[in-house]
Amino acid sequence: MTAGVTLRGVGKTFAAGIEAVAPTDLTIAPGSFVSLVGPSGCGKSTLLRMIAGLAAPTIGTVERTDDAVGFVFQSPTLMPWATALANCALPLRLAGNADDARATEALKRVGLGGFESVYPHALSGGMQMRVSIARAIVTAPRLLLMDEPFAALDEITRFRLNDDLLALWQQNRWTVVFVTHSIREAVFLSERVVVLAPRPGRIVADVKIDLPSIRAPAMRLSHAFTDQCARVNAALSAGEDAA
Amino acid sequence: MMRALPFAFGLLLLILWEAVVRLNDVPPYIMPGPLAILIALKDNAPDLLAGLAVTLEVTFAALILAVVTGVLIAVLLASSPAAERTFFPYAVFLQVTPIVTVAPFIIIWVSNIFAVLLILAWMAAIFPIISNTLLGLKSVDGNLRALFRLYGANRWQTLIRLSLPACLPYFLGGLRISGGLALIGTVVAEMVAGTSGTRSGLAGRLLEASYRLELATAMACFALLSASGLAIYALMQMLSRRLLRHWHESARLEN
Repeated sequence: MTAGVTLRGVGKTFAAGIEAVAPTDLTIAPGSFVSLVGPSGCGKSTLLRMIAGLAAPTIGTVERTDDAVGFVFQSPTLMPWATALANCALPLRLAGNADDARATEALKRVGLGGFESVYPHALSGGMQMRVSIARAIVTAPRLLLMDEPFAALDEITRFRLNDDLLALWQQNRWTVVFVTHSIREAVFLSERVVVLAPRPGRIVADVKIDLPSIRAPAMRLSHAFTDQCARVNAALSAGEDAA
Repeated sequence: MMRALPFAFGLLLLILWEAVVRLNDVPPYIMPGPLAILIALKDNAPDLLAGLAVTLEVTFAALILAVVTGVLIAVLLASSPAAERTFFPYAVFLQVTPIVTVAPFIIIWVSNIFAVLLILAWMAAIFPIISNTLLGLKSVDGNLRALFRLYGANRWQTLIRLSLPACLPYFLGGLRISGGLALIGTVVAEMVAGTSGTRSGLAGRLLEASYRLELATAMACFALLSASGLAIYALMQMLSRRLLRHWHESARLEN
């Protein structure tokens, strides 16, 4: 049931002749949590948009075992004229499903029960992002694509959302592809961190994170966690030196 | 206190005006004072209000027509860059052409006087609706567009659920300008078309009164038209606030 992703020689060259992503192979196992990490301009967002089908690869093929995807953008990307419930229910309504029970349920799952009739401007940045996540999971997709979703939030809010996202993932075991420029965030969340380098965007390392599968918040302070961050950091530096 | 300031200033001007007219014994066919205008307004009230009704009927008909056609045209122009390239210059052409110069042709081609006034007022009012709505349609957030694409929304769903709500603040900005333009267009059209008789609008009565040197009556017409313009603006402002109060900065800051 869970969706995997396979990229075969997927590359993207923009009209101006700039190669954003060099031909890339990548296989993401169903039910895994994978982060794409790299400096800005390394093509990680472009790669994610190609997985979502929002951008067409210039060459190569993207294979997904399931069509349903949830996508979370860097900004909450909510419709300001619609309530939290209406925003969350959008994917259902577009599919002709007028029943809002699932949207109400999705809001509850991200901790926003009772906020159904609130408009986005009355919500904090973190709460807006929660609505955005609720909208992404409301169709019960097996693949969740997240493009630096917490980059604009303060650290306290980001940690809380990281913890809650992990809890949701433990319950549902979606496949998650998570783009971030934060090494610590990637290590804390992921089973596997794919490191990218820019000009052209390409994969330079694929690091399996050697941490217990249950990630408690206190783990952020452990030596094991710091060691894993150091491994990813080393891969990132090596990639930059090679460029 | 601050709210009373413009009214206090207006009252001061009126008192000054009355004083100047009285102290210098200016004859009423040159310059009537505000009190004389008020009396003229009261004496001719049924006649003037009938004229006002005709003028406002044309104004609102033209405004509604401009809204419907303007939004439709904007949606068509926004649907393809080629369409915008091809047709938008003609919308600009409509805007920059003084309607007074078009009036003689319309009067020859169209026999129904109501239709003549409607066409001219519509021409005056439509451009801000087209250009603002078009700007709004083109300013829709790219990520929201991507989201709609991701969930397989068709063009109709994207238009109704995304593009039109997103362009509402822009459209309402255009509507506020067009409301005033529709009235101005109607008045200019009435003057050029030279409507007269019982079915004539307020502008026609203004002209008639001025030909007879009844300046007080003419100025009463003028005052009614100005007040109507202000009322239309206030109406559009209220509409705008009601529609946007839940979500748009412009309506929230004023609350």
